[in-house]
Formats: sequence, structure tokens, C-alpha cells
Amino acid sequence: MSEGIDARGIDVTLGGRKVLDGFDLQVPPGRVTGLLGPSGTGKSTLLRALVRFIDIDAGTITLDGTDIEALDARELRCRVGLVAQTPVMLPGTVADNLRYGVPDLTAEDLARALADADLAPSFADRVAGDLSGGERARVALARALTRGPQLLLLDEPTAALDHDTAEHIGATLRRLRDSGLGVCVTTHDLAFADAWVDRRVDLERGR
Amino acid sequence: MSRDILLKAIAGVGFTAIAVALSLRHRLGSAREIAIAAARAFVQLAAVGALIALVFELPGLAFAFVGAMVATAAVTSGSRLRGLPGARVRALVSIALPALAATLALLALGAFAFTPRAAVPTAGILIGGAMAATTLTGRRLLESLQDEIPEIETRLALGDAARTALAPAVRRAVHTGLIPVIDQTRSVGLVTLPGTFVGLILGGATPAQAAATQLVVLLALVAVELSAGLLLAELTQRAVILPGERVQRIAVQR
Repeated sequence: MSEGIDARGIDVTLGGRKVLDGFDLQVPPGRVTGLLGPSGTGKSTLLRALVRFIDIDAGTITLDGTDIEALDARELRCRVGLVAQTPVMLPGTVADNLRYGVPDLTAEDLARALADADLAPSFADRVAGDLSGGERARVALARALTRGPQLLLLDEPTAALDHDTAEHIGATLRRLRDSGLGVCVTTHDLAFADAWVDRRVDLERGR
Repeated sequence: MSRDILLKAIAGVGFTAIAVALSLRHRLGSAREIAIAAARAFVQLAAVGALIALVFELPGLAFAFVGAMVATAAVTSGSRLRGLPGARVRALVSIALPALAATLALLALGAFAFTPRAAVPTAGILIGGAMAATTLTGRRLLESLQDEIPEIETRLALGDAARTALAPAVRRAVHTGLIPVIDQTRSVGLVTLPGTFVGLILGGATPAQAAATQLVVLLALVAVELSAGLLLAELTQRAVILPGERVQRIAVQR
């Protein structure tokens, strides 16, 4: 049974500074969890810890009841997709990006991932490096979805996007939630959180 | 000191002054480094000039001399790779293994006489090439590990193993390390007349003998520099790949 992520008592120190201090977070399936707080409060650090990009000093993080330290890191990252704040487009077309690491992705799966991220099928042949910021954000979302994750972590997905594009992203996240995906989104945009987030976790000074 | 040597020394000082002045004029921040490198070259060549006759006569001293060359190359390259844990040791392995193996192979194949007079300069050329490739490859890879972490972590987040995620950066770095020797090989005889060729001609060898010797040295250099770059890339990956398919960030001193 899917329980999602359960992080308890998380301490993280980076460069001698305690970024997270005894922080708790649950990311259940079928909900959009908003991780709120101003810049520098450790939102990105927490997401990075959830996919084991950084070590935690104390606490436990489980995925469906299993400590993530006991999971193969690659398996963990396929089950928990991470979309960075500034999405990096890999060389090639949008289709190449979506097929990265999933070479046997079918045309139907590719089309579904594009549709899930609110992108037209014609996007598949666009050169990824030529896309705008908003398009990159959606391609990064589609790319994460092609791995069939059960949870999706998005770091400030609407930063530097205009209001309409941010609304598109919000609506996309809601659709994904309705399909059963657990979503965790960091944001300092309170209006976006009010409109699209089901449950809010405030991350003020790492607690 | 003969007039000829004095004139050459004065010319060397003049060229150094030009390089230092250009660096200062364009605020490159390398004027001091150029001056120190030139001073070191002056002292080192003077010392070698005094020692080399002895080195050529005593095999034991020749081995020690090659050892000193390797150690100096490792320290020089390692100092360019600050930020990489154990940089000097990793540079030492990357330089010594291919350069010394190629020297032994050339001597064993009879390409050069098995004498200190032939072995020491050959080892020096190959050690110097390996040092350049190690430094260039390492610098490029460390810069990637600092500047391209978002791309590397994107690949990790998409399920890549750390080695797979690093592969594009490694390929770019090894390619960068090879550029000088490939360009040198491509342009030999057209743009440059390399040291071995010139030295042999001045020493009385026929042009055909000099060309054949230069060719084997140049092609050995390509293999040595590629091996040095690959070794350094491998040793760097071992240093930065952490358990759990993670990559350690590196702070490069530029």
C-alpha cells in the first residue's frame, strides 16, 4: 500500500550551517503538499535529501514505510521524481529528453507524458535547448513523469514564470493529483499555494 | 659565461618581460606566475646543464633524475587541481604509469638505445606530455564538477548511475586534455619542427632518422596523454562519487 514519504526529525548541516533542524514532512499520495517559506529556509535542501542527493545528520525518511537508505538510489529516484527549480534540458529534442533513461518509451507513453504536462504533441520534435522558461518547466515535468513516479517533488516550479503559465502548472499538478500521484511543491508564492495546494507545511527557519 | 649564452639569457629575460607586461596590461592576474615560472625555468635549466653530463654517465643517477622529473610533474599538476582530494597522488599515478610504461616500451622495442643519454630525454618528453594532459583534463573536469552540477543532478534524478551522469563531463574533459597533442601531431612539419627532430638534426642525424624518431615520440605522446587523461578522470571519479549514486560538489580554485 502506498503511504508516500514520511520524513521525521530531519537535521541537515551544510557548510557548517544547520539548514534543517528537527523538521517533519509527510508527502501522501493523491495530495498536493505545499512546502512554504522564504528563500534560504531549506526547502530545496529538504527536497534534495528526499532523493538522497545529500545526507541527513539525524532523523529518518521512509518511502511507503521503507527507510530510503535501504532502497537502491536509482530505484528511489525513479519512484520519486524531482524537478529542479531551473530545469536543465539535455541535448537533443524534447522527445530525446523524455526518452532519456527510458529508451523503450512507447509513442503512446510519450504522448501521454506531454499531455499530462499540458504540452501539445508537436512539442516532441522541438529542440529542447530552444524552449522558453515556461516550456522548459513543463518539459521537465513531462520528463519526470515518463519514469512513472509515485511521487513528484517540484522545486519552485513557478519561479520566474508569468501568472498564466504558473496557473497552467497549478492546474497540471491538480490533474496529476487527481490521478493518484503524490505531489510536493516548494514555493514562496502564497497566491499560488492558496490556489493549488491541498495541505501546507511552513518551513520557517528549518523547523 | 660565453657571449652566446649571455645573449640567449638576455633574450629570455626580454621575452619574459613582454609576457609579464602583456599580462599586467590585460589584468590577467598571471604576471607573477609567469615571472616565477620563468625564474624556475632559468634555475632548473642551469642546474640540468651542470648535472646532465653526470646523469648520462651514471645509470643510478639517471633513475633518480627520472624519479625527480615524475615527482616534480606530479606536484606541478597537483597544484593546479586544488579542490580534488589527494590531487598530487592522483596526478602522480596519472603521469607516472603511462609515461614510464611508454618509455620502457620504446626502449624495449629498440626505438632508442638503452642508455641514460637516450632514456632520460625520452622519459622527460613523455612525462611532460602526461603532465600537460593531466592538468588540462583535471581542470576541465573539476570545473564541470563545480559549474555543471545542475546537469549532473538532472541526470541522477532521471535514474542515472553516478558514472553515467558524469560520462559527458568526463568525455569533454579528456577531449580537452588531448587538444594540444592532437594539434601538435596534425601540424608537425607544417607549423612546428618539434624538439626531438631539431635536436637530432643539430646532433648530426639524417633528416630521415630524425623524422622517424620524432614520429614515434609524437605518436607515443598521443597514447601517453590519452592514457594520462583517462587515468586522472577515473581517479577523479573515484574521489567524487559518493555512496548512494551521488556526486560531490567541488570548489575549484581558478
